[in-house]
This record gives sequence, structure tokens and C-alpha cells, in this order.
Amino acid sequence: MKNKYLTLALLTAMLQTHGQQRQDSIYKKERISRTDIQVLFGYYTQNGDHSAITGGKGTEKLHIYSPEFTITHHLDSTHSWSLNAGVDVISSASLDNIDFIVSSASKLSARTHISPSWSFKLKRSDTRITVGTGISVESAYLSFPAGVSINHVAPSGSREWSAGLQCYFDDLRYGRISAEYGYPVGLVYPAELRDTSWFSNFRRNSYNLSFAYYQVINPRMQLALFPELVYQKGLLSTSYHRVYFLGDRFKERVEKLPGERWKFPLAAQLNIFVGTRTIIRSYYRWYHDDLGITAHTLQFEVPVKINPALSLAPLVRLYTQTAARYFAPYREHNLDEKYYTSDYDLSHFSSYKAGLTLRYAPQRPMSPRYTFNALSFRYAWYRRSDGLTAHILTLLLELQHTRTRKLHQAFSSDPLNHSD
Amino acid sequence: MHTTDRQLTLAVLLLTTICILYGCTEVKPYQRAYLNDAAMRPGKTDIDKFDNSVHTYREGASGGGNGKTSGGCGCN
Repeated sequence: MKNKYLTLALLTAMLQTHGQQRQDSIYKKERISRTDIQVLFGYYTQNGDHSAITGGKGTEKLHIYSPEFTITHHLDSTHSWSLNAGVDVISSASLDNIDFIVSSASKLSARTHISPSWSFKLKRSDTRITVGTGISVESAYLSFPAGVSINHVAPSGSREWSAGLQCYFDDLRYGRISAEYGYPVGLVYPAELRDTSWFSNFRRNSYNLSFAYYQVINPRMQLALFPELVYQKGLLSTSYHRVYFLGDRFKERVEKLPGERWKFPLAAQLNIFVGTRTIIRSYYRWYHDDLGITAHTLQFEVPVKINPALSLAPLVRLYTQTAARYFAPYREHNLDEKYYTSDYDLSHFSSYKAGLTLRYAPQRPMSPRYTFNALSFRYAWYRRSDGLTAHILTLLLELQHTRTRKLHQAFSSDPLNHSD
Repeated sequence: MHTTDRQLTLAVLLLTTICILYGCTEVKPYQRAYLNDAAMRPGKTDIDKFDNSVHTYREGASGGGNGKTSGGCGCN
């Protein structure tokens, strides 16, 4: 009997050892982190004849070169951080007219921006919270954004909602990044109007409260709703915009707008997969604010898959807005008006945009760690009914970096060995 | 825009939304092949970002699922 137990114990020990050896000899690759890298380059050029700097009459020629990158690092399934940084180089003929004769330093202006954010998922929930901040600096302003958002996905995966609050604290003084000063001097006024201090306030605060609701309608259709509420307070006028008045042609002032503004955009998007190759992305937005602007935006984009990696997406966008109640063209304002602007961005106009996006998304590994996800290129032509025309070019490169490690099968298969 | 026009626009938008939501069907995970396509993702796409910035500069309206709405730039 004793021998029988001894034999059984030896057999069990042998089997256990054999089993252990088999487990130790098997390795498994486990992904420990993923980083998404996006490099975006935008180029914008426009021409028109209603510059606000010269009172609603004059060249609006402008070029913007805008390179930027975004890195999103997923530490695990719960935590991720993101960093976005870039620079907008603006070359503007009308900015040169702030000083009329002497070419100002603003002719070639650069906006540099950087914004980190942190995102984490709540335990035992499909709710994710994101917090972010940053800094943006240009010759004539400094801005500190701060924001928080919450996103929740329903267990069925058919519904999702999100809410966010984004605040911007702007200082509109010039001189901070000027070689001549190096500190904030004051607001920039047109050269001939610098004998008057037109505004005592140089700050502008913006509070954007945004919501989103996503609903799957059926296996080929998805709807999204985007209501938002925006409140701005402070200096909403642009201190170097001129306004000319009726009568004496030399009677001019700096643009003046109310110190508060409420905006209410409400948008809906419906995406439909038609057949096996075509998607219709339709978007409509209604907008109203207390300056008196009511706007409608309608956009259709139709990505067509030429093959699994290549797609072409024609795009059409139609837009119309009513004028702000304080807008009047060059030399049409009365001197007794409380608020006035000749900025044609706030006038009554319609605009249309037509474009084409080419997207190549092979999702092909370039090396054991890097994957080439996609390369997209878009060209769009834009025309406003007041005569302004523009061309927009965008190039987007998407890469992915993955870190893996080899693990013993025993570690990966035994739930007790997981450290988290 | 007159108040009646605004109310009519909102009513049409609300009615359309209700009709669409009423027609919702439950979608199983194995039926999500089309919905999971990158181009079906609602909201702005990554390549829209620069275009949207430009629109906030050149137009009075902004926001509505397009990312940045106001502040921190020369937008209107």
C-alpha cells in the first residue's frame, strides 16, 4: 500500500515537472505599448479685396504654412497621453498695412502652439476622461487653453456620448516675442491711430461647452448630434482693424464690437455605407450668435474605395451666413453708432468649397516596430460670394510604433501571475 | 433670421432625428464590419483639422463637432 502511494506521488511529480518544462519552453509576444504618430502639413492661400485692416477695402492676399505633429502614446488599455505641437507661418500683405508705409514685423508672423493631454479610463466602466492644457503664442497674442472631457460608450456599443469644457485665456498684447521689446507692450493699433488708447482691456476669455451623441442606426448607418454653447468675454474687437465713416474720408476709428458674445452651433452628421465600396458622409450645421449671425453649413463627402488600401473622396461644402448687426462696408458706418466693423468675415455672404481627398492606407509594417498606416492628401478650392478665393492643401502621414516583449506562456496564461 | 424660421429649422432637425432614432436596430458585434470602417467614424476626420481652422478664420460661424470653436486664434 505504501509503495502504491509512493509510485503515485512520483508519477504526479514527474508529470508536473514535465508540464512545467513545456510551459517554460513556450514564449508569447505581448504588446506592451502603442504610439500613434501623425504628421500634418497644411498650406492655405487666399486673395480678395475686402481687408478689414484697411477698413473693408484692400488686398487680402495671405499665405499660411502649417506643419504640426501629434503623438498619442497608449501606455496600456487604460491610460494614454497625447502631445500636439506645430507652427503656423503667416505671410500677409494686409498685415503690412497696419503701418502702411513702414513694413511692420507682422508681415511674416508665426504662431507656435503646443498642447499635451492625458486620458484615462475609469475602472470597470466604458467611461474615459481626458484633461488637456497648452500654450499658443504669436506676435500679438498669448493663449492658455485648458479643457476636460468625458466620454462614455454604452455596453452594447450602439450608443456613445461625450461632454467637454474647453477654456481659452488670451492676452492680445504685442511685443512678447519681438526682438525689439521681449515683453508685452500693448495692443497693436493702425499707425495713424496710435495717439489714442482705444481699449483698456487686452484679455479675452472663451468658454466652449460641447456635447456629442453617437447612435448606430443599423449595420450600415450611424448618426451623430453635436450641440455646443460658447461664451466669450473681453476684447472681442481686433485692435488693428480700421473702420471708415460716412462723410469725411479721413474720419476713421478702430473696430469696436461688444465685450461679450454667445454662440450656439447645433450640428448633425449621418454616415451611410452604400454597397461595398462607397460611404456617404453628410453633415449639416445650424449656427446662431448674439451678434446677429445665423449660418447654415451643408457638407457631403463620398469616400469611394478603389481597392482595400486606396480610396478617393470628393467633397462639397455649402455655407451661408447673415451679417452681424454691426457690420457695414467701407465708409458706410455712421459716427453715432455704438459698435462698428467692416470685417467681411462678419458680413452677409455665401461660400462653397469643392475638394478631393486621396487616401492610401496599406497598414504595412516597415520594420518590426513601425507600421505605415496611411498617407492622405487633400486639395480644396474655396470661394466666397464677396469675391474671396482660396486654395487649401493638406498632407497627412500616419505611422504607428509598437513595443512588444517575449513572455513565458505560463505568465500569460495564468491569471494569478498578472501584476495588474 | 426670423424666429419662425429658426423654430422651423429646429423642428425639422428634431423631427428628422426622432424618425431616424425610432428606426434603430440592435447591431451585433459580428455585424459591425461596415461601421468599423475608418471613414464611417463620425465627427471630424484627421485631415479635416486644417480646413476647419481655415473656416473659423474666414467665416462667422464655428463649432458643431469640428473641434475648436473659439479662442486662442484669430478666428471670429
